[in-house]
Amino acid sequence: MIKSLKQFTKTHSEMVRGMAVAVGLAAVLALPGTGFAQNETPKVGGVLKIAHSTRIATMNVLNLSGPAEYPAIDMLYSGLTRIGMDNHPHPDLAESWSANSDATVFDFKLRPNVTFHDGTPLTSDDVVATFEAIQDPARGASARSVLTMVEKVEAIDNLTVRFTLTVSYADLPVAVAHANARIISAKALAGPKENLENKPNGTGPFKLESYDSSRMTRLVRNDNYFIEGVPYLDAVELHLFPDLTAQSANYLSGNMDVLLAVEQADYDRIDKAPGSNALRVASGRFVNVVMRFDQKPFDDVRVRKALAMSIDRQTLVDVILEGLGRPARDNILSPEYAYVIDSPEIPYDTAAAKQLLADAGYPDGIKIDLVASNRPAIRGQVAIAIKQMALPAGFDINVKSMPHDTYLANYWRKGNFYMAYWGMRSTPDGAFTLLLTSDASYEDTAWNNKEFDAIVAKARSTPGDSERAQLYAEAQKLILRDTPYIIPFFQDVLTASRDGVKGWVVHPLNRVYYIESVWLDRN
Amino acid sequence: MSLGYLTRRLFSVLLVLVIVSFAVFAITMILPGNAAVMILGEYATEDQLLALAEVLGLNRPWYIQYFEWAGNILQADWGMSLRLSLPVGEVVGDAFWNSASLAVTALVTVIIVAIPLGILAALYRGSKVDLGIGLFAYVGTAMPEFVTATLLLVFLAGSAGGYLPAGGFIAPNESFPGFVSHVILPAGTLGLILMAHIARQVRSEMSDVLASDYIRAARLKGLRERTVIRRHALPNSLAPAVAVISLDIGYLLGGIIVVEEIFAWPGLGRLLIYALENRDLPVIQAITLLLAAVYALSNLFSDLAIAALDPRVRY
Amino acid sequence: MSDFARHPAGVAGAILLTIIALAVLFGPLVAPYDPQAFHTTVRLQGPSADHWLGTDQFGRDLLSRLLFGARSTIAFGVGATMISVIAGSLIGVTAGVVGGWIDSVIMRGLDGMLAVPDLLFVLLIVTMLGAGTGEAMLAVSIAFTPGMARISRSSVLSIRTREYVLAAVARGESQRYIILSEVIPNAIGPIIVEGTIRVSFAIMIGATLGFLGMGAQPPSTEWGLMVSEARQFMYRSPWVVAVPGLAIAVAAMGFNLFGDALRDAFDPRRSR
Repeated sequence: MIKSLKQFTKTHSEMVRGMAVAVGLAAVLALPGTGFAQNETPKVGGVLKIAHSTRIATMNVLNLSGPAEYPAIDMLYSGLTRIGMDNHPHPDLAESWSANSDATVFDFKLRPNVTFHDGTPLTSDDVVATFEAIQDPARGASARSVLTMVEKVEAIDNLTVRFTLTVSYADLPVAVAHANARIISAKALAGPKENLENKPNGTGPFKLESYDSSRMTRLVRNDNYFIEGVPYLDAVELHLFPDLTAQSANYLSGNMDVLLAVEQADYDRIDKAPGSNALRVASGRFVNVVMRFDQKPFDDVRVRKALAMSIDRQTLVDVILEGLGRPARDNILSPEYAYVIDSPEIPYDTAAAKQLLADAGYPDGIKIDLVASNRPAIRGQVAIAIKQMALPAGFDINVKSMPHDTYLANYWRKGNFYMAYWGMRSTPDGAFTLLLTSDASYEDTAWNNKEFDAIVAKARSTPGDSERAQLYAEAQKLILRDTPYIIPFFQDVLTASRDGVKGWVVHPLNRVYYIESVWLDRN
Repeated sequence: MSLGYLTRRLFSVLLVLVIVSFAVFAITMILPGNAAVMILGEYATEDQLLALAEVLGLNRPWYIQYFEWAGNILQADWGMSLRLSLPVGEVVGDAFWNSASLAVTALVTVIIVAIPLGILAALYRGSKVDLGIGLFAYVGTAMPEFVTATLLLVFLAGSAGGYLPAGGFIAPNESFPGFVSHVILPAGTLGLILMAHIARQVRSEMSDVLASDYIRAARLKGLRERTVIRRHALPNSLAPAVAVISLDIGYLLGGIIVVEEIFAWPGLGRLLIYALENRDLPVIQAITLLLAAVYALSNLFSDLAIAALDPRVRY
Repeated sequence: MSDFARHPAGVAGAILLTIIALAVLFGPLVAPYDPQAFHTTVRLQGPSADHWLGTDQFGRDLLSRLLFGARSTIAFGVGATMISVIAGSLIGVTAGVVGGWIDSVIMRGLDGMLAVPDLLFVLLIVTMLGAGTGEAMLAVSIAFTPGMARISRSSVLSIRTREYVLAAVARGESQRYIILSEVIPNAIGPIIVEGTIRVSFAIMIGATLGFLGMGAQPPSTEWGLMVSEARQFMYRSPWVVAVPGLAIAVAAMGFNLFGDALRDAFDPRRSR
């Protein structure tokens, strides 16, 4: 089982250096998930039962975001490319791709003879239709924010799609590997929305047999999957247990084979239980404290720094994550990202924080409300812990918990002090343009730093590796200087599978699972 | 009992349901978030939210939404779930049968257990049996379902006890033994408080009846004790028990919400919580109306049953 | 009232209630620790010399949290019930005394509200008002009012025809006098009894709301919320769940027993 993650290698741009480069990794078993030594021969057959605790409310791959929805569409749909455990984009529906010398035009060649689950053949028209849907604001597609540089998508011939970009962007193959950028048939996109939600028709290794969102979703092997020999499993069942206790009890009793997401509190017990193997994957997902720059008191960077110093990050990791994570130093990039720099440690020093507050004009401390949505619960837990830790420094924080939709409607991107929660992105550019640039998709701190914007834009279109590294280093230094967010830790992805389940892994992005490589050895 | 009475009662049930539907609608209109916000979540921009709300028809004035919905209901069209994009009738219908199987099991078990317990307690009043049953009754009533459910889960299910499944559901027509093993714990949790109520009520009524004049007269007549109980005491004490049972159906409908959530039972309770969290208006309304109707009809039924059991009551 | 002491149930209830009242009144004063303070080196421990009831997942002292939480939990139940008693009695007595079409309209309205089961009604209102202790309390009082109104109304109706009332009417007393001096003192009995028992339901509903995340919000020490947050740590320290869970049960039981004993004491007809 894979227990450590190789670093993002800094070679994405190598692929596009100079002239067109063909990346033809169309090997028969080009399975991005098999990073482990395959000295055992996979057995074919069996049904894998996965326990999860959040409802699969929809299968509309364009805008779904539920933790249990991702494994479902990872099995049902394929993208042009797919992120591997080595963090490179691997061929999926595109068997090869090439770009022009300044990475503004990309051609993707599709595999021939691929069919959707309903039998219709995949053509470049489907790809074009999918990307047009992604870019259509009315569709609310999650992948839109990583594809803003795409000006035009066109079908050159039946099996070739050309992307024309507004700027040079060497990482396009990574961008189209976005978990929500899977290819949907043009016919389905033109049809009623309900079909996209309930009758997914993809090109993935499994197809939908039955879907009862209140209980169980069952997928069966797609015998016409375009990679020979996989999937090994006959079927996969996703069982819903909204109650965490019932979920883990069913897993431990052997009723379920996989526990999709393990709670920090249970990890140790589940790892030690006989027949069960827990897996932790270092990930860059985090809880962050959002403090608006354009309102008091966080308009003064000294107040921001004071709060940053009033948080004992290691204790948060120990107490809230049960040690299953790493302390972070307010850099939005975790150590797994390419071009990440070392951030200086931030000591937990409430006396110094108190002094900083006084310098900033708050000798008697600050009284303020901290808003935390109740989904996921970790936001509230971190808020409460921060409240306690920051007390000696003079911060009198009143934690306001509320239902998620009230938070979304009234506080998200509007409030001046609240807890947010974000998953990991594939590239530094992805992270920066999601949250921190002035025109970021979900910008919420009002940082509006022109220097930062300029660096990020320049880095996008810089093919040279060392130049990029330098630019991104400058960008991170700006982040560390101004502290747009307080990011106290990076939270590991936790999952578990029973003995006899081979090949169960989760990518740190927490959206890709490679279930076609999973096989059962029940003897 | 007159037909007129029955008609009046049914009409009154209908009227009540109309009031309930309106109230529920009004309540959900005031909610701060709406279904579009919940569906798109954090991946929403202002324009996307407005677009989706438009598609879902959430931007129209409330009275238009209400009358359109009410009109559709009368044509048996319950609309589409905003969150799940499935017909409400289908989603709620499935959930209803699942809840019904749980509730009926709980009720039947309770009646079989609680009534004899109550009778026993009344017959042996003041004895240790009575005290024991009384204690069980008081403790049973005082434990909220989520505490009982959690304790049962820890001690009897899953890895600890290993005997019973820890939540989940198998339909009775799929596998009856499977259904039974999964229904035991949730039905037991629901039943505990009901058993306590009913046992207490039966005991108290039975005690009263046993001490009353006509029972004394029956005994003086020389009838055997068993006949006295069977033919005179029981029927008269059961009538209030039926009343309590119907009141408890109201409690049952509430208890189902928590129990289904904890035991992953895919019924109306769980669906309701999900719909509330996601502001799924059509589903919330359908479930509330359904539960109110069940409650109202069960009250009516129990009134009729009391009338049948107790000849003194005349409608 | 002297028979009250002879009933062990009533005495048990009174004892429990006294303990609870003491916890509510003096709890925060005698609590050994700040209920929110973290003691991270002793997380999830069972009872010990330093922490008599153990600690929770953040290392917070369970005894202190329990004592502070008594107020939120019990005051919630008592407060919500009192509001519903006052509001319900006003409505019910008015309906019973005034009679006529006003009575009919009020009754129809009450029937409508009573048609919805308690927890469901509370959930709907709380969803509308938003989660939180105050909102939950308001929701519970609204849900309980129709029931209390019903009881006070039927109480008034049965009294209206009693001799002492007829005598007062014959004497020519004003309606206000009749209500205040004859009706209310005699109607109060059943209302108090019902109210006391209702407190135990209100406590349980409040705890259930806290459990569902729709009532008290973290970091409140409300007992239902404590159970809900503790459930995932149940296997590492059963105390985190057992302590608040049993506290809820004890409180509900106390009010229940006491209410039953009151009912027996007030109603001379009931043979014991």
